[in-house]
Amino acid sequence: MALVDLVKPEIIKVPLESKSKQAVIRELLQVLVDAGKLNDFDAAYDALLAREAKGSTGLEAGIAVPHAKTDTVSTLTLAIGIAPEGIDFRALDGNPSNLFFLMLAPPNQSGPHIEALSEIARITQSKTFCKMLLRAQSPEEVAELLTEED
Amino acid sequence: MEGPIRRILIYVDGTEEAITAAQYAVCLAKSTGADLHALYVINTRALNDLVKARIFLDSEEEEYHHDLESDAERYLKHVDKLSSRKGVTAALEKRSGTVHQEIKKYAEEIDADVLLIGELSHVRSRRDEFYHETERAMRLVHCSVLMVKDEERVWDLYDALPE
Repeated sequence: MALVDLVKPEIIKVPLESKSKQAVIRELLQVLVDAGKLNDFDAAYDALLAREAKGSTGLEAGIAVPHAKTDTVSTLTLAIGIAPEGIDFRALDGNPSNLFFLMLAPPNQSGPHIEALSEIARITQSKTFCKMLLRAQSPEEVAELLTEED
Repeated sequence: MEGPIRRILIYVDGTEEAITAAQYAVCLAKSTGADLHALYVINTRALNDLVKARIFLDSEEEEYHHDLESDAERYLKHVDKLSSRKGVTAALEKRSGTVHQEIKKYAEEIDADVLLIGELSHVRSRRDEFYHETERAMRLVHCSVLMVKDEERVWDLYDALPE
């Protein structure tokens, strides 16, 4: 499953309202609940926090990729959030995070999970592209940028 | 007399599309008498990329690598079942590395006449074209490539095949 198959306006929040790490994870999980993609909010939250406890998924350059394996989803599930002001996600470089790609994967789908995370790693290497995402004003605009529909 | 297809390579990645392609490969092997080879590639390149990007911790890399090893066993075993049920023997191969490069290498090693792949999702992004491993393999291999479509029709063909 390609990343592009997961990107829909209903799983994107622009701008995020949260101001803390835990709050942004909760906000993105709520996006998934509202989109009908997640039923067990608490179990997914616990799985994500357990992963964060091992080391922050706040990377450099404002990117954060909170992720977890959990049986609360039956298929690869993605939520995207954009916080132009930045949120302290305890990132590796100490800077605030702006672009959040939250991914949940069922335990039996490690292959697609790895491929999707790998795609995120690749597309976020472009600083120009990340700037374009940060300037997006709506979920539709973010989806359009990510899918680059012809 | 040898036909144009003597060795069939099926790439198995665990998707439903790849399973459909495997069923079609069994049908093709049965009707042509060709040898059937099934390949699964553990995507260690992606794992390394994720560690480099610091998305994965070292412990996660190990955990996911182990998951992918299990996937390889499971999916290749499934192809083995699909083929043996119809009296076809499949050679099963597990490799590690960059997926499209390993497919290319193995296709050359066995001198495959045709590579069968599952249906690719509709390309809706120019970005996607650059990164889809199976699509890259399709462009790279030396042999002909057959993309298997129409799951229901293939299922019927496979079902109707004598055991």
